[in-house]
Amino acid sequence: MIDLIAHNLAPIMFVSVMAMLLLGYPVAFTLASGGLLFFVIGVEVAHFAPEQINLFWPLLQANPERVFGVMSSETLLAIPFFTFMGIILERSRMAEDLLDTIGQLFGPIRGGLAFAAVVVGALLAATTGVVAASVIAMGLISLPIMMRYGYDSRVATGTIAAAGSLAQVIPPSLVLIVMADQLGRSVGDMYVGAIVPGLLLVALYCLYVFVITMVRPKAVPALPAEARTLGGGIVSLVVILAVSAAIYIAAYNFVFDQMRYETRVVSAATLATIVAYGFSLANRRFKLGLLSRLAEQVVIVLIPPLALIFLVLGTIFLGIATPTEGGAMGATGALALAFVKRRLSLKTLRQALDSTTKLSSFVMFILIGARVFGLTFYGVNGNVWIEDLLLSLPGGEYGFLIVVTIIIFILGCFLDFFEIAFILVPLLAPVAQKLGIDLIWFGIILGLNLQASFLTPPFGFALFYLRSIAPSSEWFDEVSGRKLPAVRTMEIYRGAIPFIAIQVLMIGIVIVFPRIVTHYKDVGPAVSPSEIRIEAPNFGSGGGPNFGADNNGAGAGPNFGTNDDGGSSAGPNFGTPTTPDTGAPAAPNFGAPATPDSGSGGGGAEGDATGGPNFNTGQ
Amino acid sequence: MKSLHAVSRAIDRTTALLGRSVSWLILVAVLVSAGNAAIRKAFDISSNAWLELQWYLYGAAFMLAAAYTLQRNEHVRIDILTQTLSKRTRDWIDLFGHVFLLSPFVFLMAYLSWPFFLQSYRVGEMSSNAGGLILWPAKGLVFAGFAVLCAQAISEIIKRVLVLTGKTTDETPEHELPPIIEDMEEVEALHRAPRREDGRAR
Repeated sequence: MIDLIAHNLAPIMFVSVMAMLLLGYPVAFTLASGGLLFFVIGVEVAHFAPEQINLFWPLLQANPERVFGVMSSETLLAIPFFTFMGIILERSRMAEDLLDTIGQLFGPIRGGLAFAAVVVGALLAATTGVVAASVIAMGLISLPIMMRYGYDSRVATGTIAAAGSLAQVIPPSLVLIVMADQLGRSVGDMYVGAIVPGLLLVALYCLYVFVITMVRPKAVPALPAEARTLGGGIVSLVVILAVSAAIYIAAYNFVFDQMRYETRVVSAATLATIVAYGFSLANRRFKLGLLSRLAEQVVIVLIPPLALIFLVLGTIFLGIATPTEGGAMGATGALALAFVKRRLSLKTLRQALDSTTKLSSFVMFILIGARVFGLTFYGVNGNVWIEDLLLSLPGGEYGFLIVVTIIIFILGCFLDFFEIAFILVPLLAPVAQKLGIDLIWFGIILGLNLQASFLTPPFGFALFYLRSIAPSSEWFDEVSGRKLPAVRTMEIYRGAIPFIAIQVLMIGIVIVFPRIVTHYKDVGPAVSPSEIRIEAPNFGSGGGPNFGADNNGAGAGPNFGTNDDGGSSAGPNFGTPTTPDTGAPAAPNFGAPATPDSGSGGGGAEGDATGGPNFNTGQ
Repeated sequence: MKSLHAVSRAIDRTTALLGRSVSWLILVAVLVSAGNAAIRKAFDISSNAWLELQWYLYGAAFMLAAAYTLQRNEHVRIDILTQTLSKRTRDWIDLFGHVFLLSPFVFLMAYLSWPFFLQSYRVGEMSSNAGGLILWPAKGLVFAGFAVLCAQAISEIIKRVLVLTGKTTDETPEHELPPIIEDMEEVEALHRAPRREDGRAR
């Protein structure tokens, strides 16, 4: 009996700990204690299956080192930065202004409010990486308007939930950051890879709304004339946009032509924006009457999000900032915006920081719990078990991708994306790598999957958020002076279904046409922590040319060599607590501590960056 | 019983104060990080100390606020099966969890991270990056975080026992929605209360 348990400890452990999670006790601690419990069992039965179980008491001392590794990860700093930015932006009510104005712009056409929701969702998604903020803003602003003017509540709620969840896949999404971290790849590459799929998704959403306007025009009526408070005036909007585009081209080619490419783009764009913005402000202030009110308002509300997108994504893609610093810049920008709009009080700030800290703390502790679990799981050869299981799937690469998609899709109905990313992804990554799957491509597929999970009833978070703010009983609408019906939960669920279908379609497209992601290899890598860090002579994990050769995101690169916690192959995150090359002292018996930035990225991220230009392995 | 309650309250007050205080470090980290990128681009100056300071600050914030997060009941749970159970059953599960899932982990980690810190402290360990910061205070944070969590675990056990024996009312918040949403809604409610009429308490 004990013999049987000893030989199958990995599956037993996996199933038991997952069952323990269902107790409903906090995930972080359940995972960690589950790991420790099986550590004890593993050590006790190790002599029954010495070839499988590689656990011994001193190994426990690796745990503080692993926590320290989690702590010293620069990439994960992006979590509090983007969360904080999201909360402050929510307070600044930028989303409200955008929705009001873009709604007016598109309102007169059929389905206009739905198009506006998708466009604003995409804009917000490109500004911040947090879903909650955009869904809530749209639920509070767009939903009542849509209901007031006779939108079908299923179409309305579905569009809002889907548009809100775009923040999951459009850079600078938190999901992509965490995914890059867990896969050991650079966040910059992940962002570049996500652009096309993200935009395609926006296009598909719009297409869906368009089809509805054709098939069921009554479900998505245009705004009636009395609701168009900003009036018409598209012509002057087109003119001012054309003028600023012309200024941009002229400035780029003639004024700033001496500059380096990146500063040139930035300077030209800044100039064009300032001119348009200044002109609109002057028009409003001095009542020049040169622009329609609509054009004036559109330009003025578009400036803050565009500036923030530049601060975050612009600085990242132009190589000015790392993704983490991009998050910090965005947060600073959001603070400035909220301050200018007089929406920043000490109380707001304190509360935003309080929420951010608690969220960061629970996220980081899930990761810590997952690493304590991982120490044991790798010690009992759990990674080998998972690998054998997944490699035995029929259909090779595609079989694997499809099965993983289904698994994540189902789990996504019940689990938070952080849990999936920290528990499952480290187990899947080595398998994907063995199958020769590009890890960025894999990460984007997983990201799309997790986005779909935001929309799946009954526990999809976007639906959940929307449910919490949509009227749950009849409500009195002051503007129209009518009683409007409640939004029923079933309507929210059913409204999400077409968008889930679009999501599945999109996953299919990405699987069939990997090029829409893997073009990231053609672009130079964005700046990464290792490039800006001043390298010490003995600094081991910097990959070097060898990294280019073996598509090695998983931290088993040349300098990482052996993995000292039990000899199993090096998973991106679970298995490599320490890098042997750095010379500092350590816990007794245990190699050396992680270098500050090899922590949870497992070193692969640096490898990508340093090996950047040479990095050209395909599948 | 009274004295136990007092102990629990004292712990809760301390961890809450600590958690709220360290949350400001996030703001400092944001400003350091943004400033770092700007200065690097503008003046071509880069320093490992400033880079490391960012995760130092973040590490301090999330390690030291973990106990506060626990106190506010904001560590995420998978409660699809248990949310329908009675409050009393969930209290028992929590007590079981605090004793058998939380305590072993945090006490063991505190026990293990003390020598881990001490070793680093004795040799005055520095970061291996040129111009980096001293490393042992960061390692001390690992110990400090788990030590505070140990205290919080004791307080949580006391509270759960007192609630289950009917000696006190339950003050631990329950979250129907992710807490971050609740926080956002709270502020929304202030602005929007007059516009809503769906009968929900706001």
